[in-house]
Amino acid sequence: MNAVTSFLHKTEADPSSMPSYEKILELLPRPVIFVGSDGIVLYANPSTEVLLGTVIGRDVHELFPGFMSGLISMPGALSSVLVSWNEVAFEAAFAALGNGRFLIDLRPSLQASITSMPSDMDDLTGLAKRNALLSHLSCALSVKAPSSFVAIHCLDLDRFKMVNDMLGHAVGDLLLQKVANRLTSACRKGDIVARLGGDEFVVLQNDVNDEAAAETLASRIVDLVGRTYVINGHTINIGASVGVALSSAGIQARDLLRNGDLALYEAKRAGRGRYRTFESGMDALLLNRREMEIDLRRALALKQFKLHYQPFLDVTTNKVDGFEALLRWEHPKKGNIPPLSFIPLAEENGLIVKIGEWVIRAACMEALSWPEDMVVAVNVSPLQFKSDTLLETVAAALERSGLPAHRLEIEITEGALLDDTEKVVQTLNALRNLGVKISMDDFGTGYSSLSYLQKFPFNKIKIDRSFVAGHSTDSEAILRSIASLGRSLGMAITAEGVETAEQLARIRGERCTHVQGYLTGRPMSTHQIPDFLRQNDLQTEKL
Amino acid sequence: MASSIYSLVYYSRNYIASDETTFAANVDQILAKSRLNNQRDEITGALLFNAGCFAQVLEGPLDTVEAAFERIQQDERHGDVSLLALNPIEHRSFPNWAMGFIGTSKIHAERFADIGSSSGFDPSRLTGDEINSLLRELAIEEEAA
Ligand SMILES: Cc1cc2nc3c(=O)[nH]c(=O)nc-3n(C[C@H](O)[C@H](O)[C@H](O)COP(=O)(O)O)c2cc1C
Repeated sequence: MNAVTSFLHKTEADPSSMPSYEKILELLPRPVIFVGSDGIVLYANPSTEVLLGTVIGRDVHELFPGFMSGLISMPGALSSVLVSWNEVAFEAAFAALGNGRFLIDLRPSLQASITSMPSDMDDLTGLAKRNALLSHLSCALSVKAPSSFVAIHCLDLDRFKMVNDMLGHAVGDLLLQKVANRLTSACRKGDIVARLGGDEFVVLQNDVNDEAAAETLASRIVDLVGRTYVINGHTINIGASVGVALSSAGIQARDLLRNGDLALYEAKRAGRGRYRTFESGMDALLLNRREMEIDLRRALALKQFKLHYQPFLDVTTNKVDGFEALLRWEHPKKGNIPPLSFIPLAEENGLIVKIGEWVIRAACMEALSWPEDMVVAVNVSPLQFKSDTLLETVAAALERSGLPAHRLEIEITEGALLDDTEKVVQTLNALRNLGVKISMDDFGTGYSSLSYLQKFPFNKIKIDRSFVAGHSTDSEAILRSIASLGRSLGMAITAEGVETAEQLARIRGERCTHVQGYLTGRPMSTHQIPDFLRQNDLQTEKL
Repeated sequence: MASSIYSLVYYSRNYIASDETTFAANVDQILAKSRLNNQRDEITGALLFNAGCFAQVLEGPLDTVEAAFERIQQDERHGDVSLLALNPIEHRSFPNWAMGFIGTSKIHAERFADIGSSSGFDPSRLTGDEINSLLRELAIEEEAA
């Protein structure tokens, strides 16, 4: 409680030695204003009138155009600067009086001209910065009416970096200004828009009745910020992802912001260009992922990854041509963790590049001990393609292991070809020049699989298991067309996921050259391979 | 360099309530504002509407066209704004129109009875050039009417 509030709380005065508190307020040479929950001034001492004119009955936002978007600090915190409608700068301190009412204690500021604010204001956009946002938020949380909420909208621009890289920082800056402007136009008077740096913005929405009201603003932001921009003759399309969090009883500013951030993270994971509202499970989810991430980083060092190998056979000879390396994570506590539960995370945080490098090295080493000319096929993630080190990694792995290049097959998915095709094709050509085979994995699952066949002469196409398992005449027709198309382009065709003799018979009929699946061999460890091959040879001879 | 003139073409989805008075009042307000602003900004052009969408050509100096487009983008009365063209042009197509409005004259009232239904006229199938010449053609008819 500061000096002024304590005045208001005491009602009795000692008549002999002291003037009444009311009198003191009247005599106080600086303005003190009491504001109701609706933002209307209910009381002002006479000094206020001298400096600001009549204020009782007026809206505090009107008196201080920068109010809320000006600078407010919590009671007890350092005072901040407020500029009045008639451009007088004040150092302002606030005291919450409950039920949304509050007191402003104003001290005319000698140095604090309008220009003394920059430390709390973003130069580029004129929006509040982190500290200002935090104090606004604390203030909003403490003065809000019990029946209403404060909502936080954390947002991140999708593809902003690309705009910056392609069109330069000057255009990027103009874009940020336009975004700031759109955000401000989507908000109401008492709301605050802040820029925390880069392309990170936060909107503080005041007086929110319910979750629906917050979601309305969030979806408006996604829509508005996602609309086309025209800057210096360039047409620019970006998107916005938004994480929404609503205040709960007693929540602190930082926690509310963190909840907004968690929701933003989920919005981005869900595919960007959308909003997500914070739910209590989200922290646990993130915690899980964090733990898994730490585990993943350790897994490499602690050699918890293993490779298993699944054979692929030539359908005409029934002989094994080679094995596809499949990653296994043997967690000491959690047991075997299936790739589907950790690969997406590894892709998200970039660890896949390191893991992928290990896979290539280990696969080359192990394959060297296999009989004959067995090929080892290794999956390479799109991220590895982008990392610029793939070629080096492959060359080094071949050299160190001594594995002849033609015994290594690199499998890529369409995802690797999606963007920046030119560069990807360059890398593919360089790999091919090393003598490595290249195959296209999961063929038929993407949108434009066919167009990629034209861009690069793959050695092999692996038809996705869904076409093999599919019982419809459609999937059969697709299988057949892909196979004949591939063969006419001189590519080998592997049918994946073959599990039954019936499927195998069908594959044979459809001009596929290779088959891979449980029927012809389950994944096995490297030392099981010699035995497996011996068995397979015996069976083949019997056939 | 002589200040060059740009032409910007977009179409958008109309979000204004479809009852006649609300719609007419909004369109009047948009046009009045547009004419005022555009005169100041040396912008000319034409606006076409039907129940489903707006199509507009804005022509003028790049900076004022960009600023006007930015304001228009923020307008809640429409959405799904698709920018079809932004090009420097030699001559204005609508030199006399601070913002010509297609859809008021009798001829068009009839014509729009047909293309006014959201299915009848679909600017999303047209290119910027096509919209430009369509609006130009309509504008000339409208002037003559
Ligand atoms: C379909 C449509 C077309 C518009 N065309 C223009 C225009 O050509 N010029 C303009 O200044 N405003 C136009 N507006 C209005 C703007 O969206 C905005 O309300 C106005 O420019 C605000 O002007 P002010 O900032 O001067 O108040 C249009 C709005 C709509 C919905």
